[in-house]
Amino acid sequence: MKRNLEITTEPIEEAVLLAKRFISPQAGAVVYFLGVVRGSESGVTISSIEYETFEKMAEHQFHLLFDEIEKRWPIESVRLVHRVGLVKVNEPSLWVEVIGPHRGEAFAACQWLIDEMKRVVPIWKKPLPP
Amino acid sequence: MHVMVSFYSYLKDLTGCAQLDETMPEGSTLGDLAKKLSSRFPKLEPMWNSILMAVGVDYQERGYLLKPGDQVSFFPPVQGG
Repeated sequence: MKRNLEITTEPIEEAVLLAKRFISPQAGAVVYFLGVVRGSESGVTISSIEYETFEKMAEHQFHLLFDEIEKRWPIESVRLVHRVGLVKVNEPSLWVEVIGPHRGEAFAACQWLIDEMKRVVPIWKKPLPP
Repeated sequence: MHVMVSFYSYLKDLTGCAQLDETMPEGSTLGDLAKKLSSRFPKLEPMWNSILMAVGVDYQERGYLLKPGDQVSFFPPVQGG
Protein backbone atom coordinates (compact mmCIF):
# COMPACT_ATOMS: atom_id res chain seq x y z
CA MET A 1 0.00 0.00 0.00
CA LYS A 2 1.41 3.36 -0.97
CA ARG A 3 1.19 5.97 1.74
CA ASN A 4 1.90 9.66 1.85
CA LEU A 5 1.69 11.76 4.98
CA GLU A 6 2.17 15.47 5.40
CA ILE A 7 1.84 17.50 8.60
CA THR A 8 2.21 21.11 7.59
CA THR A 9 1.51 24.70 8.60
CA GLU A 10 0.91 25.58 4.94
CA PRO A 11 -2.63 25.86 3.53
CA ILE A 12 -3.94 22.64 2.00
CA GLU A 13 -3.93 23.03 -1.79
CA GLU A 14 -6.47 20.53 -3.07
CA ALA A 15 -5.75 21.16 -6.77
CA VAL A 16 -2.07 20.42 -6.27
CA LEU A 17 -2.87 17.25 -4.35
CA LEU A 18 -5.36 16.10 -7.00
CA ALA A 19 -2.83 16.69 -9.77
CA LYS A 20 -0.51 14.22 -8.06
CA ARG A 21 -3.13 11.49 -7.84
CA PHE A 22 -2.21 8.07 -9.18
CA ILE A 23 -4.87 5.42 -9.78
CA SER A 24 -3.81 1.95 -10.92
CA PRO A 25 -5.88 -0.13 -13.36
CA GLN A 26 -6.89 -2.32 -10.38
CA ALA A 27 -8.53 0.52 -8.50
CA GLY A 28 -12.23 1.26 -8.84
CA ALA A 29 -12.83 3.64 -5.94
CA VAL A 30 -11.29 6.90 -4.81
CA VAL A 31 -12.65 8.33 -1.58
CA TYR A 32 -11.91 11.81 -0.29
CA PHE A 33 -12.51 13.46 3.07
CA LEU A 34 -11.98 17.13 3.75
CA GLY A 35 -12.08 18.35 7.34
CA VAL A 36 -12.90 22.03 7.57
CA VAL A 37 -12.83 24.39 10.55
CA ARG A 38 -16.41 25.13 11.62
CA GLY A 39 -17.49 28.57 12.71
CA SER A 40 -18.38 27.42 16.21
CA GLU A 41 -17.12 25.07 18.88
CA SER A 42 -19.52 23.90 21.59
CA GLY A 43 -21.99 26.58 20.54
CA VAL A 44 -19.45 29.40 20.79
CA THR A 45 -18.52 31.42 17.68
CA ILE A 46 -14.84 31.20 16.79
CA SER A 47 -12.58 32.80 14.20
CA SER A 48 -9.97 30.08 13.92
CA ILE A 49 -8.37 27.07 15.55
CA GLU A 50 -4.75 26.83 16.67
CA TYR A 51 -3.63 23.23 16.12
CA GLU A 52 -0.75 21.97 18.23
CA THR A 53 1.05 18.69 17.58
CA PHE A 54 3.74 16.45 19.01
CA GLU A 55 4.92 16.00 15.47
CA LYS A 56 7.31 13.07 15.74
CA MET A 57 4.77 11.01 17.65
CA ALA A 58 1.96 12.10 15.31
CA GLU A 59 3.92 10.84 12.31
CA HIS A 60 4.63 7.54 14.05
CA GLN A 61 1.01 7.06 15.11
CA PHE A 62 -0.27 7.90 11.62
CA HIS A 63 2.04 5.27 10.14
CA LEU A 64 0.81 2.69 12.67
CA LEU A 65 -2.71 3.45 11.45
CA PHE A 66 -1.59 3.06 7.83
CA ASP A 67 0.00 -0.29 8.78
CA GLU A 68 -3.34 -1.40 10.25
CA ILE A 69 -5.27 -0.29 7.16
CA GLU A 70 -2.90 -2.37 5.03
CA LYS A 71 -3.69 -5.44 7.18
CA ARG A 72 -7.45 -4.93 7.20
CA TRP A 73 -8.37 -3.85 3.65
CA PRO A 74 -6.96 -4.25 0.12
CA ILE A 75 -6.23 -0.52 -0.18
CA GLU A 76 -3.93 0.65 -2.95
CA SER A 77 -2.91 3.99 -1.48
CA VAL A 78 -3.59 6.47 1.30
CA ARG A 79 -2.60 10.10 1.26
CA LEU A 80 -3.23 12.38 4.23
CA VAL A 81 -2.44 16.01 4.92
CA HIS A 82 -3.07 17.51 8.36
CA ARG A 83 -2.56 21.20 8.80
CA VAL A 84 -1.26 22.55 12.12
CA GLY A 85 -0.77 26.06 13.43
CA LEU A 86 -3.47 28.66 12.85
CA VAL A 87 -6.35 27.56 10.59
CA LYS A 88 -9.24 29.97 9.96
CA VAL A 89 -12.93 29.10 9.83
CA ASN A 90 -13.90 27.52 6.48
CA GLU A 91 -10.32 26.54 5.76
CA PRO A 92 -9.44 22.85 5.46
CA SER A 93 -7.45 21.30 8.32
CA LEU A 94 -7.48 17.71 7.06
CA TRP A 95 -7.36 16.15 3.59
CA VAL A 96 -7.58 12.38 3.13
CA GLU A 97 -7.53 10.31 -0.07
CA VAL A 98 -8.07 6.53 -0.05
CA ILE A 99 -7.83 4.49 -3.26
CA GLY A 100 -8.96 0.89 -3.43
CA PRO A 101 -10.53 -1.73 -5.69
CA HIS A 102 -14.10 -1.21 -4.48
CA ARG A 103 -16.06 1.52 -2.72
CA GLY A 104 -16.83 -0.68 0.32
CA GLU A 105 -13.19 -1.01 1.35
CA ALA A 106 -12.30 2.56 0.42
CA PHE A 107 -15.15 4.09 2.45
CA ALA A 108 -14.53 1.75 5.39
CA ALA A 109 -10.79 2.43 5.49
CA CYS A 110 -11.30 6.18 5.23
CA GLN A 111 -13.90 6.23 8.03
CA TRP A 112 -11.73 4.03 10.24
CA LEU A 113 -8.64 6.13 9.63
CA ILE A 114 -10.36 9.36 10.65
CA ASP A 115 -12.04 7.80 13.70
CA GLU A 116 -8.76 6.31 14.90
CA MET A 117 -6.80 9.46 14.13
CA LYS A 118 -9.12 11.35 16.46
CA ARG A 119 -8.37 8.81 19.18
CA VAL A 120 -4.59 8.35 18.98
CA VAL A 121 -2.76 10.98 16.95
CA PRO A 122 -1.29 13.69 19.22
CA ILE A 123 -2.83 16.81 17.74
CA TRP A 124 -4.84 19.27 19.86
CA LYS A 125 -7.16 22.17 19.03
CA LYS A 126 -7.38 25.57 20.68
CA PRO A 127 -10.39 27.49 19.36
CA LEU A 128 -9.82 31.24 19.14
CA PRO A 129 -12.53 33.91 19.51
CA PRO A 130 -13.39 36.46 16.79
CA MET B 1 18.05 8.36 36.80
CA HIS B 2 17.17 11.36 34.70
CA VAL B 3 14.12 11.45 32.46
CA MET B 4 12.88 14.30 30.29
CA VAL B 5 9.27 15.28 30.68
CA SER B 6 7.24 17.23 28.11
CA PHE B 7 3.74 18.61 28.57
CA TYR B 8 1.43 19.37 25.67
CA SER B 9 -1.75 21.38 25.13
CA TYR B 10 -3.31 22.88 28.26
CA LEU B 11 -1.10 20.80 30.52
CA LYS B 12 1.61 23.34 29.66
CA ASP B 13 -0.66 26.08 31.03
CA LEU B 14 -1.49 24.10 34.17
CA THR B 15 2.15 23.38 34.97
CA GLY B 16 3.60 26.62 33.63
CA CYS B 17 6.19 24.69 31.67
CA ALA B 18 6.60 22.74 28.43
CA GLN B 19 9.61 20.65 29.41
CA LEU B 20 11.57 19.69 32.48
CA ASP B 21 14.16 17.19 33.67
CA GLU B 22 13.13 14.91 36.50
CA THR B 23 15.24 12.62 38.65
CA MET B 24 13.64 9.33 39.63
CA PRO B 25 14.93 6.34 41.60
CA GLU B 26 15.87 3.20 39.63
CA GLY B 27 12.85 0.94 39.26
CA SER B 28 10.39 3.82 39.05
CA THR B 29 7.35 3.55 36.85
CA LEU B 30 5.41 6.09 34.83
CA GLY B 31 2.85 6.02 37.64
CA ASP B 32 5.56 6.97 40.15
CA LEU B 33 6.58 9.84 37.92
CA ALA B 34 2.98 11.00 37.65
CA LYS B 35 2.67 10.99 41.47
CA LYS B 36 5.84 13.03 41.82
CA LEU B 37 4.63 15.53 39.24
CA SER B 38 1.28 15.79 41.03
CA SER B 39 2.98 16.92 44.20
CA ARG B 40 5.03 19.43 42.24
CA PHE B 41 2.06 20.62 40.15
CA PRO B 42 -1.12 20.13 42.24
CA LYS B 43 -3.34 21.37 39.37
CA LEU B 44 -2.56 18.10 37.57
CA GLU B 45 -4.00 15.98 40.36
CA PRO B 46 -7.68 15.85 39.26
CA MET B 47 -6.68 15.21 35.62
CA TRP B 48 -4.69 11.99 35.79
CA ASN B 49 -7.63 9.80 34.83
CA SER B 50 -7.75 11.45 31.44
CA ILE B 51 -4.07 12.29 30.87
CA LEU B 52 -2.37 10.20 28.18
CA MET B 53 1.23 9.10 28.61
CA ALA B 54 3.90 8.36 26.02
CA VAL B 55 7.55 7.38 26.13
CA GLY B 56 9.34 8.32 22.94
CA VAL B 57 6.64 8.11 20.29
CA ASP B 58 4.62 5.25 21.79
CA TYR B 59 1.81 5.23 24.30
CA GLN B 60 2.63 3.53 27.58
CA GLU B 61 0.68 2.56 30.69
CA ARG B 62 1.35 3.64 34.26
CA GLY B 63 3.20 0.39 34.98
CA TYR B 64 5.90 1.11 32.38
CA LEU B 65 9.37 0.87 33.98
CA LEU B 66 11.32 4.02 33.31
CA LYS B 67 14.84 3.84 31.87
CA PRO B 68 17.56 6.51 32.10
CA GLY B 69 17.15 9.08 29.37
CA ASP B 70 13.51 8.24 28.63
CA GLN B 71 11.58 11.06 26.96
CA VAL B 72 8.17 11.08 28.60
CA SER B 73 5.21 13.07 27.36
CA PHE B 74 1.96 13.85 29.12
CA PHE B 75 -1.02 15.26 27.28
CA PRO B 76 -4.81 15.47 27.35
CA PRO B 77 -7.08 13.46 25.02
CA VAL B 78 -6.20 14.20 21.41
CA GLN B 79 -8.35 16.26 19.05
CA GLY B 80 -7.06 15.96 15.52
CA GLY B 81 -9.00 16.49 12.34
